[in-house]
Amino acid sequence: MNRKLEVKDLITIGVYTAIYFVVFFMCGMLGYIPVFMLLIPFICPFVAGIPFMLYLTKVDRFGMVTITGLICGIMMFLTGMSWPPIFTGIGFGLLADFILKSGRYQSAGKTVLAYTVFSIWLMGAMLPLYFMRDSYFAAMIPTYGQEYVDILMAYTPAWSFYALTVTAALGGLFGALLGKSVLKKHFIRAGLV
Amino acid sequence: MPRELMQSSPAQGRFSLDPRSKLLLLLTGSTILIAGSPQGIMTYIRPVFVLLPLALLFLSGRSRVAGRFALIYLAALLAEQVLLPLVSGLGGFLLVAVLGILTRFIPSLALGYYMVSTTTVSEFIAAMERMRIPRQVVIPFAVMFRFFPTVLEESRAIGDAMRMRGIGGIRLLKNPLTMLEYRLVPMMMTTVKIGEELSASALTRGLGNPVARTNICRLRFGVVDALLSAMAVAAFACFLTTV
Amino acid sequence: MIELKNVSFTYARGDGENGLQGINLKVERGEVVLLCGTSGCGKTTLTRLINGLIPHYYEGMLEGEVTINGQAVSQLPLYELAKMVGSVFQNPRSQFFNVDTTSELAFGCENQGLPREVIEARLHTTVSDFKLHSLMNRSLFHLSGGEKQKIACASVTACHPEKFVLDEPSSNLDTAAIEDLRRFMEQWKALGKTIIIAEHRLAFLRNLVDRAVYLKNGSIVREFTARQFRALSADELETMGMRPLCLKELKAAQPAGADQRLTEAQESTPLAEENHHLCLSRFEFAYHSSEPVLRMENLTIPKTGVTAIIGDNGAGKSTFARCLCGLEKRCSGLVTMGGIHWGGRERLKRCYMVMQDVNHQLFAESVMEEVLLSMQRQKTKEATKITKATETPEAKAEIILKSLNLLHLKERHPMSLSGGQKQRVAIAGAVASHKDILIFDEPTSGLDLVHMKEVAAVLAQLRRMGKTILIISHDLELILKSCTHVVCLEKGRVTDSYPLNGVGVNKLKAFFGSGTVSSEPVEIEAVVARAVGH
Repeated sequence: MNRKLEVKDLITIGVYTAIYFVVFFMCGMLGYIPVFMLLIPFICPFVAGIPFMLYLTKVDRFGMVTITGLICGIMMFLTGMSWPPIFTGIGFGLLADFILKSGRYQSAGKTVLAYTVFSIWLMGAMLPLYFMRDSYFAAMIPTYGQEYVDILMAYTPAWSFYALTVTAALGGLFGALLGKSVLKKHFIRAGLV
Repeated sequence: MPRELMQSSPAQGRFSLDPRSKLLLLLTGSTILIAGSPQGIMTYIRPVFVLLPLALLFLSGRSRVAGRFALIYLAALLAEQVLLPLVSGLGGFLLVAVLGILTRFIPSLALGYYMVSTTTVSEFIAAMERMRIPRQVVIPFAVMFRFFPTVLEESRAIGDAMRMRGIGGIRLLKNPLTMLEYRLVPMMMTTVKIGEELSASALTRGLGNPVARTNICRLRFGVVDALLSAMAVAAFACFLTTV
Repeated sequence: MIELKNVSFTYARGDGENGLQGINLKVERGEVVLLCGTSGCGKTTLTRLINGLIPHYYEGMLEGEVTINGQAVSQLPLYELAKMVGSVFQNPRSQFFNVDTTSELAFGCENQGLPREVIEARLHTTVSDFKLHSLMNRSLFHLSGGEKQKIACASVTACHPEKFVLDEPSSNLDTAAIEDLRRFMEQWKALGKTIIIAEHRLAFLRNLVDRAVYLKNGSIVREFTARQFRALSADELETMGMRPLCLKELKAAQPAGADQRLTEAQESTPLAEENHHLCLSRFEFAYHSSEPVLRMENLTIPKTGVTAIIGDNGAGKSTFARCLCGLEKRCSGLVTMGGIHWGGRERLKRCYMVMQDVNHQLFAESVMEEVLLSMQRQKTKEATKITKATETPEAKAEIILKSLNLLHLKERHPMSLSGGQKQRVAIAGAVASHKDILIFDEPTSGLDLVHMKEVAAVLAQLRRMGKTILIISHDLELILKSCTHVVCLEKGRVTDSYPLNGVGVNKLKAFFGSGTVSSEPVEIEAVVARAVGH
């Protein structure tokens, strides 16, 4: 169970990460429609749960999800979303790997939990908007006045970050359940898992 | 998007940068543009990184895309200046927030676009190998890039099949989950099968040999690369002083 | 030297491939050995034993020993084996690792860690030896199947292995591409390389093989010397379940079918006048504003016939099929059936293409649901139409399933079926949605004789149902067995169109013979095949 990653596993990671990322990215495109913008943290992990749950049936070694997280993070970086996703990708990937390992890569409940946790990685893309928030707003004071900036800050409170995080986790949870049901309906019946 | 996500074959470009200096520029640029404060010395550095991606896109023969990015950026900037004093209430502030996000992200996205649209997959893999990134990361990366077009090809064929079956259209809105299933399940099945066959083929061709891999793709770190990299490092240092 | 001693293998999980029992085989250096037999006979498994994918990639129970130059395959890691054995596989789409051709050629050498100068020199030789200049520095995703297979062969060549193992490499190729493949093999043979090839298309190998090994149910049943192999008659091959060695010997269909076919063909010879046929005029298609890739002035396709669409790669066959199905929006011209014009949208409802990879068009969770899915659409369209109790969708679906010999599989998941069964499920869907025109894209690519005959039987049945059928195919045997008419395309234009009567058959053979087969001497050696194996 603790064997090193072999070439076969590395190719598996690549194939499933490609599917996951394309689905994820396509859903992210919905964000260009303003109505959906706030729903992105939910929709992306929800839909991408279908390929990811299939992926988790193939994961039987520590580190596979971490590498997926890292690669997704780098892809976000390459497409201009800055580098925090790289670190959240690794971090939440590691957490997911630990959860899977604790379930010996067999436990159905643990795979759902693992994906729920893993889904939070996308908050890395939101992070820069928040961690330089103060200096950003401070810069606006001379132009727009203290009062105005105060109102603006009130409308974008720090807790909204946590709300988005919870949304992402919920997207992950429901995505995992959706993925499980699709697996059962198709892949298990077809004898492919 | 993924059609633009890294080219397979080199374009007939006159101007090209080493992927490593592109990565450095992207690292600095996205940090400064998205997370950097607009104060102090950054008042001068930010505009450089707003213009840089446009210049790079223009030089590599993508002036139309550069123009489009410039237009959106200017529109957002203008809207911010004009609307900000006028609006009030929640809706107004949401608008301002969106504009704020746009002005911070667009130049960075343009830089990202430059990165992925002017680098070939082979160059990128070569750069990663030369930066001594472990193969546990390089191999999945290479496989992923090889599979982006495959996923799209499969999706397209499935889309055709759905049209011939009359699946989609109105029923898409009525039953989005079922549609999602139809879209994704066959695509996953065929792609995964191709993946298994690829594994077998790659193994018989010696992937996994522990010797240091050669990479015949030539990377050229030229004078322009050196200059831009130096600039990126300097800008990053300035950024660090403002944190 | 390759040696298999008393080897048996059983797969841990059924991969659609069958295992082997008690295999003994010796292949000397420089020999060209053909592994033949019907699909599922174990020839693919045998190739995997030699290139090491068994036991290193496919899991299962392995007994006996496989050695290459005295070294046990099971003891050597795959990357060491890769230096000795080069492999080419069936599916051109799945065996390339890189996205561009140049990197792909270098891939094997790069993995060995050879110095850059050596690799560049090898690439240079390979490219000029096999005239690949025009394919260099291109995206693999823009190449045809044949070109991809060429790159696969060249890439393996650049690694300089002593032995080549090919697993049904011609399955998805057309005549010209098979000829390219043959040239690769010829060159390898000339260099004294050992070649082991599993194939069921035998014609192109006729003068290449030194020995043929015939497998059945996982065992070697017979072995033929080159002489004996070439002397095998079409009938003998047919009883062994194999495709012919020489396409010239092929006869047109079985007598019963032929009669019907020919009378029908003669009946419908003056096609142009009959307007109840499918008529196309000024049917054109172009990508964006470039030159049209498809231009058909006038074409009549018989309503009750089976029309073969033939032509080389890039002749526009697939584009034509896509346009006819209404999948391409920018397609102009007049398409009439029985005098009524069908626009693109109407064609989308009337036509159905059975794709080459049928996995793309199966969506439901069971065979029954798959058929019902096609009916639902019908129901919403004619919601007002009251159906009798005996005509519930399920009952109708069962009738269709039964007619296609699928009823016993109705609860199965479509993806768990065999290739031929999947194809029939896709057809069942088309029948259920009352499609009038069925287009088959290479329905027999990669199929052996038995399965090809199955397809032919289904086609005959659809014809009896009154469907208009078009088949894009490179399979001369299938065309002779099932088709009534032929349309030949070249560069998007119709160059010929004729009924498949006596004259037509000769024309057709001339078309397919222009490549590999006729260029070979057709000497019939009077040596009767004799069993030398068990």
